[in-house]
Amino acid sequence: MTHLTRRSFVGTAALLAAPALIRPAYAADTVKLGCLFSSSGTMANLEGRLNHVVRMAADEINGRGGVNGRQIEVVTSDPASDWPLYAQVGRQMLQQEKVAALFGCWTSVSRKSVLPVVEQNDGLLFYPLHFEGDENSKSVVYVNSPPASSVLPAVDYLMGPDGVGAKRFFMIGSDYVWPRTINKQLKGYWTGKGIPETAWREEYVPFGFSNFQTLVNQVRSFASQPGGQPIVVLTVVGSSIPDFLREFANQGISATDVPILGLDMVEADLEGLDTGKLVGHLNCWAYLQAAKSARNTTFLSDWASYVKAKNVPFSADTVIDPMVSAYDSVHLWALAAAKAGSFAVPEVRKAFAGLRFDDPSGYTLTMTGENNYVSRGVFIGSVNEKRGFDVLWQSPDAPKPVPFSPYG
Amino acid sequence: MADRRRRPRRAVLALGCLALACLAIPARAAPLDRAAFAAALCGDAAAQVRGAEGLVQAGGALPADDLARAGRLLGALAERRLSCTAEGAVLLDRPGAPEGRDAVTDAVRPAAEARAPVLGLRQRAAIETARGVVALLTGPDPAARAAGLAVLERRIAAVPEAVLDRARDAETDAALRGTIAGLAQAAALSSPDPARRLGAIGAVAASPSGTARARLATLKGDPAYAADPAFRAAVDAGLAKVSRAVAIGDGLAVVYNGLSFASILFMAAAGLAIIFGLMGVINLAQGEFIMLGAYATYGVQEVFRQFAPALLDLYLVAAIPVAFGAVALVGIVVEALILRHLYRRPLMSLLATWAVSLFLVNLIRVTVGTQNLQFAMPAYVSGGVPLYADFVVTWNRLFAIGFAAATLVLTLLILRRTPLGLDIRAVTQNRDMAACLGLPTRRVDRLAFGLGSGLAGLAGVALCPIYSVNPGMGSGFIVDSFMVVVLGGVGSLIGTLVAALGVGGANVLIEPISGAVAAKVIVLVGIILFLQRRPEGLFAVRRRR
Repeated sequence: MTHLTRRSFVGTAALLAAPALIRPAYAADTVKLGCLFSSSGTMANLEGRLNHVVRMAADEINGRGGVNGRQIEVVTSDPASDWPLYAQVGRQMLQQEKVAALFGCWTSVSRKSVLPVVEQNDGLLFYPLHFEGDENSKSVVYVNSPPASSVLPAVDYLMGPDGVGAKRFFMIGSDYVWPRTINKQLKGYWTGKGIPETAWREEYVPFGFSNFQTLVNQVRSFASQPGGQPIVVLTVVGSSIPDFLREFANQGISATDVPILGLDMVEADLEGLDTGKLVGHLNCWAYLQAAKSARNTTFLSDWASYVKAKNVPFSADTVIDPMVSAYDSVHLWALAAAKAGSFAVPEVRKAFAGLRFDDPSGYTLTMTGENNYVSRGVFIGSVNEKRGFDVLWQSPDAPKPVPFSPYG
Repeated sequence: MADRRRRPRRAVLALGCLALACLAIPARAAPLDRAAFAAALCGDAAAQVRGAEGLVQAGGALPADDLARAGRLLGALAERRLSCTAEGAVLLDRPGAPEGRDAVTDAVRPAAEARAPVLGLRQRAAIETARGVVALLTGPDPAARAAGLAVLERRIAAVPEAVLDRARDAETDAALRGTIAGLAQAAALSSPDPARRLGAIGAVAASPSGTARARLATLKGDPAYAADPAFRAAVDAGLAKVSRAVAIGDGLAVVYNGLSFASILFMAAAGLAIIFGLMGVINLAQGEFIMLGAYATYGVQEVFRQFAPALLDLYLVAAIPVAFGAVALVGIVVEALILRHLYRRPLMSLLATWAVSLFLVNLIRVTVGTQNLQFAMPAYVSGGVPLYADFVVTWNRLFAIGFAAATLVLTLLILRRTPLGLDIRAVTQNRDMAACLGLPTRRVDRLAFGLGSGLAGLAGVALCPIYSVNPGMGSGFIVDSFMVVVLGGVGSLIGTLVAALGVGGANVLIEPISGAVAAKVIVLVGIILFLQRRPEGLFAVRRRR
């Protein structure tokens, strides 16, 4: 909130400056792809990486001769973690830069803001984050998983005998559509299992919130009440995640007392933390860096050499799910465009049915043509001492995505 | 000698423990079945839990060297140094080492292609408890044994009496012995013996916490509560005592949280109070100055790591002058190059400082990168200590509070007791008159801007242990600091302090009632209303016009 206030202070200036935010690219015989990832503001540390991954995937495809005889050219931008700006930059990308597809957004609020723009302009947005579902636009390709194939398996694991037999739930989220929808669905899910309403608590914080003392105090007092094993379902985003984890560890709560299921928690959030006291907390994604597969080994070394070669200002040894999903997105688009023999969005969209792609997670991504969702595997990760996640559990195959949740 | 005292007890225990024969480890006075134990730890989740729980149950009777060996295996498993080969478990020196020692025979064996199991939460808890038992019974010094006891205290229901009895009998440290005895007494809350139960209630009430309250509250449903008046009185008295202590602890926590938030606000706003108060410059780069202070701290840490790794823990202290000096220098340069030309045009200086802030963010992003910086956190700023009931003092926040207090005192001393402070105050109150009297107002401006920037650099040092340090960290502070400065009264350091305390306290008080989002809104609305009534803020500096 502080961020937005500051921005409104100079709002006009930012709007005027927006056209200059797109780095223009001039060349004939290329096809343009647009990126909508922030490299400033609260999401910068996470979204910033995705620009580079999209470039890396494009380079890979260009190295094989491009798509339909054309080289891919990546156009990047900086929507500055300012949600309305995503729509504006997206419109410019589609109308002025004439990009063939957009790759972008991390938070659901930014996706919701771009949604009318891509629908009006008949564009195509590849969205690389797992999210709340309950949306099915023909203009968005949902490359990552809806809750039924990410959050629910993880919550089930924690409630089951292999997890901790969780009985009570403290939900903490940033105050926007993704955490609120996820929590609504979780509450519906628990109600369906006969868990009473007294067994959970729900708290929200503003974007960029970092003063978690009071909330962690509340978690401790929640945990000391009777009624069974408590867990924290954490849906805060951006810089709030490491700040929450730090306070949690400093107040002396370990994962074996109250485990945290961090739904937006990735390897990059653990940078800068002493994870010795955080070992055992969980996350769930469609890819973890520790995934065992030959393609993952290749991908990790490709990324490391790309970082070195292009002097990318991000860690060469950290790879997170949205990076892989963004990488998959470019390849899925290229496969579809090649199959369609065209870059026109309606043609590309038709080509999605039956698409298959072996991605670094070790699973084969498939699309059915029923909707724009992609089948992905499910991983549950456990924080280790080395600021990474160990694979605690993974699904035997890639479940079919369910866009609309039956749980509310 | 301790051994001799324990012997008769051990015989009794052996009988009791025979009942547990179904466990993976035969719980007898006989030594640990090392092979079976190692095999259990290399088994599936259920086997690992059985192995660890078996050790806890048998722990009271096992010989010390067996316990120590089991502790090494458990530690290796928790740290992923236990490699499970087809021939059995191998202990490695570090995760992924090519060879290690056999868990049973100690022979050196290769561990290539082996499986190092990842622990689920259930196994992790069981193994933590088992390691706690080992530490309590075989720890070399009271601190190690106390650490083991602290682990067991959290899962007291899973710890057999025999373990606590043995630890108490063997304990040489009187204080720790008392603690163990208290814990053992408290563990008897569901004992069939009424006298022991009463003792347990007293022991539970003696160390109050939310958990203790919950444990006592469940006794209200016990049949004895209705039947036995003595029991009922003891439960009620214990519950009242614990509830009172928990309420006091929660109150202390509120005060502490408020102070800590206020200290952060004050640190962020103190420099601005001087810059805004003196020159009327709305410095939008103040947040980035804080960020630069944090990066300077990182630089100091890296220098220590390079040249004096033994003194690494002191880098935060050493960073104080460095961060102050470096950021003050940046501030002076910005003033000399840019702001000096814009004093008569406040809107221009606002835009110029915004440009400086963007420049600094991107400069750091290009040169250092956008990732969160990795700080080595010395013991004095990591973790915390439970002080009273559920009130935990976290060291990093205490560091920030102390830091803010020291900054306040030093800044006041500079402003009130030095020639520079006198000049600054003179220029703040009446610039033209000060100039007429021969004060070099431009030089004073520059030094004051340097002082204000340097204070932002100090804020950067104080925030390193609390927040994530990345190029964007400054943007979150600017609105809060302006709010505090304007509310406190432009140019008044005391006003800034009072406003920081007020805003911090109000946020912490409202947050549990209405949530963090609404708390922020309510505080902002309150400030707007206040400023409408009193636009000059809490403490207005008198100026002549």
